Amino acid sequence: MLSRVIAVSASGLKSTAPLGAGLVQASRSLHTSSPSLAPVPALPEGGKVRHGIVPEEFFQLLYPKTGATGPYMLGTGLSVWLLSKELYVINHETVAALTVGTVFILAVKKFGPSFASAMDKMEEEKTAWIEDVKDQAMACYADAIEEEKKEQWRVEGRSMLFDAKRNNVSMLLETNYRERLNHANHEVKRRLDYQLALQHLKVRMEKEHMVNWVEKNVVGSITAQQEQESIAKCISDLNVLAKNIQAKATA
Amino acid sequence: MILGLFDQFFSPYFLGVPLLAIAIAAPWVLFPKPSNRVIHGRSLTAQNSFILNFTKQILLPLNVGAHKWALLLTVLMINLITLNLLGLLPYTFTPTTQLPLNMGFAIPLWMATVVIGLRNQPTIALGHLLPEGTPTPLIPVLIIIETISLFVRPFALGVRLTANLAAGHLLIQLLSSATLFLIDQMWPVAILTGLVMALLTLLELAVAAIQAYVFVLLLSLYLQE
Repeated sequence: MLSRVIAVSASGLKSTAPLGAGLVQASRSLHTSSPSLAPVPALPEGGKVRHGIVPEEFFQLLYPKTGATGPYMLGTGLSVWLLSKELYVINHETVAALTVGTVFILAVKKFGPSFASAMDKMEEEKTAWIEDVKDQAMACYADAIEEEKKEQWRVEGRSMLFDAKRNNVSMLLETNYRERLNHANHEVKRRLDYQLALQHLKVRMEKEHMVNWVEKNVVGSITAQQEQESIAKCISDLNVLAKNIQAKATA
Repeated sequence: MILGLFDQFFSPYFLGVPLLAIAIAAPWVLFPKPSNRVIHGRSLTAQNSFILNFTKQILLPLNVGAHKWALLLTVLMINLITLNLLGLLPYTFTPTTQLPLNMGFAIPLWMATVVIGLRNQPTIALGHLLPEGTPTPLIPVLIIIETISLFVRPFALGVRLTANLAAGHLLIQLLSSATLFLIDQMWPVAILTGLVMALLTLLELAVAAIQAYVFVLLLSLYLQE
């Protein structure tokens, strides 16, 4: 079965030109878990230890057979046996070891918590910085969304703006047209008035001319005798009228 | 097994196999490699921050051309610190107490700084041999003195490190033996133990020895480049 896997990966190797990519492809057929890395699994918590060195699993291992004091007895017995058989000789290194051990344990006890909290603080600062970048990016995007919505609202209003503008322009055009129409009317009327006046004048002048001609002819046709007769008649009429009026006045 | 006073300075053999290589390579095993995560565990954070800060400090007085040495100097520092601190544990062998190793560190690195300085800007490098403002009659003498001091530098570097560490270890041994011997008479034991402890704390001055080493190396680098 594995030979098939190897054959597949070998063909994969051959088909890809650069060797590095081919090797990656080859090993990918042997992967069993998913290749995605996100979300990153959390760091494993430190294993439980007792007395700073011995892992808790050791105690759990011995608990069924020897109970709670088992490992301690083992430690004591082992060290006593080593010492008694002189398998471990106490020499100057022992003193050195004890001293180094004491110094180290004191240092860890004294500076351990502050050191650990300083490290944690550094990591937290790093995380906070990255999260800050992310938050700022998100705030930027939220702002961009708001701006976009406002722009969309503005676009809705834009058609009304166009209508208003269109109305405006057509009104202007209308006004202009009417004005020009008025002007044209005015001019036409002026010319017609002129013609009318001209005709009136012509008629009046003809009439006057005719009247003058008639008068002239009539006056020319009146002879001297007729003139004397008319004057005498006028005087007799006047006398009669005067008598009448006198009669009416005294009556 | 009865330990002689100088047994700690013999390089260890196990079934005839020299373990010196393992002793020298010990620091490589102890440091976790940087991981892909953004948030590391505490030890990795501490290691990363220490390395970063140290490199920044070291490269501060140097011009940009010398920054190629960053990796070398940082590695040297970490290696030496770890070797020395590990040597404080009982029954361990400290490679840096051996003069050949320290000379092996000192001579090539020193010669590199001198050769690079001479190759790139020979006049300035040679000009370092005469400090400014010396009165004229003293010039020949001073040049000779400066040359001698230049050539003594690698020996100084190597021997300083060796002497510091060897002396420190020997003192620990002597004082521990004395403490052990004096347990029969109780009184001075406590005082001597206290002194041993104090010395140990001072011997985490092995760290300081490293600083001294790297700093002097840095100094020559700075001067040459």
